[in-house]
Amino acid sequence: MNLLLPVAGTSIGFVLLVGAGAVVGFLSGMFGVGGGFLLTPVLIMIGIPPTFAAASDSCQIIAASSSGTAAHFRLGNVDFKLGSVLLLGGLTGGSIGVHVIRMLRAMGAADFAITVTYIVVLGGIGGFMFVESLQSLRRGALVPRSHHSTQGRGLLSRLPFQMDFPRSRVRHSVIVPFLLCVSVGILSAIMGVGGGFIMVPMMVYLLRMPMHVAVGTDLFQILFTSAGITYMQATTNYTVDLMLALVLAAGSTVGAQIGARVARRLRGDQLKILLASIVLLVMAKMAVGLLISPSVLLSPAKGH
Amino acid sequence: MMKQSKFHVSVATILAMLFSGSAHAATSPQPVFLKVTPSVIPMGTFYAGARLQVEGHVPVGSEVVVVVRGEDVHEVFNKVGRVGPIWVNTGKVSISGIPSLLMIFSTKPIATCLARPQIDRYQLDATAVKMQIKFTPRESGGDPVADDFLKLKMGQGSYRLAVGDIRTADAFEDDLPFKLDIAWPKSAPPGTYEVRAYACRHGEIGPTFAVPLQVVEVGFPAMIAALARERPATYGIISIMVAVIAGFGIDFLTTCIFKRKVSAH
Repeated sequence: MNLLLPVAGTSIGFVLLVGAGAVVGFLSGMFGVGGGFLLTPVLIMIGIPPTFAAASDSCQIIAASSSGTAAHFRLGNVDFKLGSVLLLGGLTGGSIGVHVIRMLRAMGAADFAITVTYIVVLGGIGGFMFVESLQSLRRGALVPRSHHSTQGRGLLSRLPFQMDFPRSRVRHSVIVPFLLCVSVGILSAIMGVGGGFIMVPMMVYLLRMPMHVAVGTDLFQILFTSAGITYMQATTNYTVDLMLALVLAAGSTVGAQIGARVARRLRGDQLKILLASIVLLVMAKMAVGLLISPSVLLSPAKGH
Repeated sequence: MMKQSKFHVSVATILAMLFSGSAHAATSPQPVFLKVTPSVIPMGTFYAGARLQVEGHVPVGSEVVVVVRGEDVHEVFNKVGRVGPIWVNTGKVSISGIPSLLMIFSTKPIATCLARPQIDRYQLDATAVKMQIKFTPRESGGDPVADDFLKLKMGQGSYRLAVGDIRTADAFEDDLPFKLDIAWPKSAPPGTYEVRAYACRHGEIGPTFAVPLQVVEVGFPAMIAALARERPATYGIISIMVAVIAGFGIDFLTTCIFKRKVSAH
């Protein structure tokens, strides 16, 4: 059965769209990643014009992340207090990132910079997570992570505006998560993705949050950032296709629910190693794609 | 009522004059005739493309060329180039002077029916289409880029050059009837298209005849498209709200299902 996408003005297989949404939703619920980095290229591949694919994807991420946030909230995995700080930092960083991109474009180095940033960031985060999780798995049981993880932070613990985040079982100066998210926001704006792939590892390794809470909190803040992007795309580029977003969401919200439940059955280290493997696979695919000469030297522009 | 029907007749006459090769028809004793069924393709919710039947006749002894052409558009592409060992986007190129859709059908290879100037004038093959492409910035264009553009379009199904799809029947008096079935691509956007038949003889294009083909969104898709176009802010807010409700709704449903499963155990 086919479905007409009224704003994109094209017709696509219904099952194909639901299936793509379900796979991405599963990853979203399991790892707290929005799926923008994965779903947009898939949509382009199945024939949806790039501008509509990117904008409608951000709309479906709202549905997937609200479903994921609700599921994680019931499991006690959403830290609203820390999530709000992260959201503010992410939005600030995103705005700075947009200016950085504009500067790079003016210099004619934007695409090269984006590609290199992608490879370096994904490779670095994926590699580190993979090695660390593997060592942890080999050691056996998880070392309980509680308030001890915030001890011995030297300079960081002497920063002003120290605050307890009981849900995440950490104590930080508000400045730390804020600045961290500013940098992630800059990176995600440059890379053109939601930032879940960078944010979750940052929360786990630098803010010392438990993996499950990092995933739930990340979904909470993705909900707001994707809503902002959707509104912007609908009013400036007229490229949000609600029908496409809803069909994708039908798959992704169910996938997110299953993902959240599967995540609950896995240990934090197992989740981390799975996420690291996916990050490394994406990075490897990108690296190979950069080295192989393409058959056509043109590609439809996303229209940034 | 009367006024309305008179208005429709006048519009139809103007459209027929605009689209038909009236100049050719006036000078030719055997004008080409063409009929497209359906003349309007409705795009409903479950639209999956359409079958288009083109039938008509040309003067006996002619070869038939049928061209389906969309409105001219301009598109932006990334140019991929090599920087050191890697392939990255090296810039953008805007391509204009191109139809949104182009399908050329002929009874014989175009080059065997027509002389090159005629092919170029009526844009009846890839070389002719390439000549019409305009690049911005100009220096970013050229033959290799035009070739890649055509490859891309043909891969997407928006451009098609087919020989032998047109079936001709026995001549009736001085007319040679022909038929063509076209699988209308589901990816073709809504808009006005032109279907034109050319009669070719002795390397020249003779009489031609064209009819318009409308592809229009109807029902719910038409409503959504209009809202997105005319009230983007409202549409944006509705999109966000619907997505949030869908997310929480599915969460509620799955929670009920999982709870029922757990209590059943």
